Amino acid sequence: MAGSMTGFRNLIDALAAAPGDRPFVTAWIDEDEQETVTFAEFRRRSRSHAKMLSEHAVRVGDRVIILMPQGIPAMTAFVGAMMLGAVPAFLAYPNFKVEASKYRSGLAGVTANLKAKVVVIDVAFPEEMLGHVSISEEARLLRASDNKNLSADVDLPELERHSESLAFIQHSAGTTGLQKGVALTHAAVLRQLEHLAHALRVDGTKDSVYSWLPLYHDMGLIACFMLPMVYHVRVVMQSPLDWVMHPETMLQIISEYKCTLAWMPNFAFQFVPRRTPRTRWAQYDLSSARALINCSEPVRSSSMREFENAFSPIGLKSGTLQSSYAMAENVFAVTQSDVNRPSSPKQICVDGQRFRSMHLIAPVAEGTPGAISFTSSGRLLPNNEVRLLSDSGALLAPGHVGEILIKSDSLFAGYYNRPDLTAKAIVESWCHTGDLGFTLEDELYVIGRKKDLLIVGGENLYPQDIEEIVASHPAVHDGRVVAMGLYNPDLGTEDIVVVAEVEREEILTDTAEVERELRNLIVAGIGVAVRTIFLKPPKWIVKSTAGKAARSTTRDKLLKEHPELNVESGESSTNDRRRTTDD
Amino acid sequence: MTEEEQQMIEYIVRLIRKPNVSIDENTPLVSSGLIDSMALVDLLLKLEDLTHKRIPAGKVQPKDMNTVALMFATVERIGKARK
Repeated sequence: MAGSMTGFRNLIDALAAAPGDRPFVTAWIDEDEQETVTFAEFRRRSRSHAKMLSEHAVRVGDRVIILMPQGIPAMTAFVGAMMLGAVPAFLAYPNFKVEASKYRSGLAGVTANLKAKVVVIDVAFPEEMLGHVSISEEARLLRASDNKNLSADVDLPELERHSESLAFIQHSAGTTGLQKGVALTHAAVLRQLEHLAHALRVDGTKDSVYSWLPLYHDMGLIACFMLPMVYHVRVVMQSPLDWVMHPETMLQIISEYKCTLAWMPNFAFQFVPRRTPRTRWAQYDLSSARALINCSEPVRSSSMREFENAFSPIGLKSGTLQSSYAMAENVFAVTQSDVNRPSSPKQICVDGQRFRSMHLIAPVAEGTPGAISFTSSGRLLPNNEVRLLSDSGALLAPGHVGEILIKSDSLFAGYYNRPDLTAKAIVESWCHTGDLGFTLEDELYVIGRKKDLLIVGGENLYPQDIEEIVASHPAVHDGRVVAMGLYNPDLGTEDIVVVAEVEREEILTDTAEVERELRNLIVAGIGVAVRTIFLKPPKWIVKSTAGKAARSTTRDKLLKEHPELNVESGESSTNDRRRTTDD
Repeated sequence: MTEEEQQMIEYIVRLIRKPNVSIDENTPLVSSGLIDSMALVDLLLKLEDLTHKRIPAGKVQPKDMNTVALMFATVERIGKARK
């Protein structure tokens, strides 16, 4: 495949070409504490990390795992590894909720699968999360000290023929996600960035990115780290936890640094206005923003409207809110809405009845009774193609709902060391996304998922990880557990709901203790809180012909029995249940 | 227990909407899965209201909010006067 039009052979070349005195990363801790590094200083610190890695025998092609909190040292360690031609992977930093033994076993699995040479941790890394049994036998543990004043005097290998080699590996959450290391070449990443930068008219002299997105997630890594690095754009970044505990800081940072671009999952578009006291909105100014892109969860027009209504009085311009459909397997974006359109992404109203019964998109006038609305994720980026496939595998025409398949010049090289999983995902050069959607007038609309995957706050979670934990409880009938995501209009994202069959009917007389234990187990295992647990009598869960719990039919049964959970249909009346923070 | 701690507990009980769960000042909230990370901001905003202090971003971690007692200790440690 042809190299990139950016003219860079690899990502390190692109960084080398950045103007040294331009600010690159600002790490925002709070209003009294920030650190900014220029491109020159970022290169120097990356070289000093390269030196440290090189002294520990890291060479071209070696895998390097980075377990550091969100911040500049994690980023320079990542780039330092790439400078050596090694292949870095960010993994999530331990969350205090997750039990040490669970974290260790996940880490052991992923280091073994990657055959990682080293695991880089920060000085404050919690000891109990490691232990020498935690990492596979070949992997060495390196504690990265603060490299501000360390020497950067290192001989870097010549990487001129390095464009088709792997640049890095990206993982999603959970033990299942850790088995799927999305391996990406320099060339694929550069091609993706070129398409994206063109679609967004990125200009390093004028733009700056705001981000709270984790670096192990494609939005954080590609849109908010690699794109700024290759196109020489400043990024002002905070940690995801700091943001989620103080969502108002997004308004504060964009106002202060006059950021122009940001990516966020759908829920953030209502989380920020609802969780920022209304009395403080007027302190901020969003007039610098030119594209705030809704990405990584299905786009809801109600969430977009809520953000726009809240913040247009503080300078948010019409047409700033955008949408994109992205996935790590394509490096990042497949589509991007048109940033030159004077209003936000296209929205259509369709006949609800025909949508539900025939999976057919029949546009109707806005306000038609029974209509449901969808928001477009935009047009395909250049050299990206989509196909829609029916359940029986037939190719669908525009206006029909089916599974989205993609093909592009930035598709991943495979799941690292997992040809079995790669062969399932890519069939005859088409990547089966597991997402459901349709095309209409050359725009792609993503409406949900075919595969069983929960997306909570933009993060992917695999239901089987939760089900396995719940099934391990003695009161729960083994294998009779279904975890699912149900849309919560108050949060703008999915809630995790678990249905489990108890071993014996009498357990149902007092479920409080079992529920409490299940919650503890889930949070200790994967660090997430479950919204609701339904304990049901034996034989309640619908089984498939193979005797396994059938997720979709069980979900239907639960929604029938608990109609209060069924809020999926329609985009209307989502504001009725809102909580306000200004009382 | 102080008056403010009692008010905080009442607020949390309303927030989590789980009538069969009882909470005191030492009940783990985050590590037990009762409170998810997206609800932490509600607790912080309530805490700021009750204490008339500002809790700076970047200085507080979810573990500092794990129990009602810890929350008030956190405000003592890092809370600043309101602007």
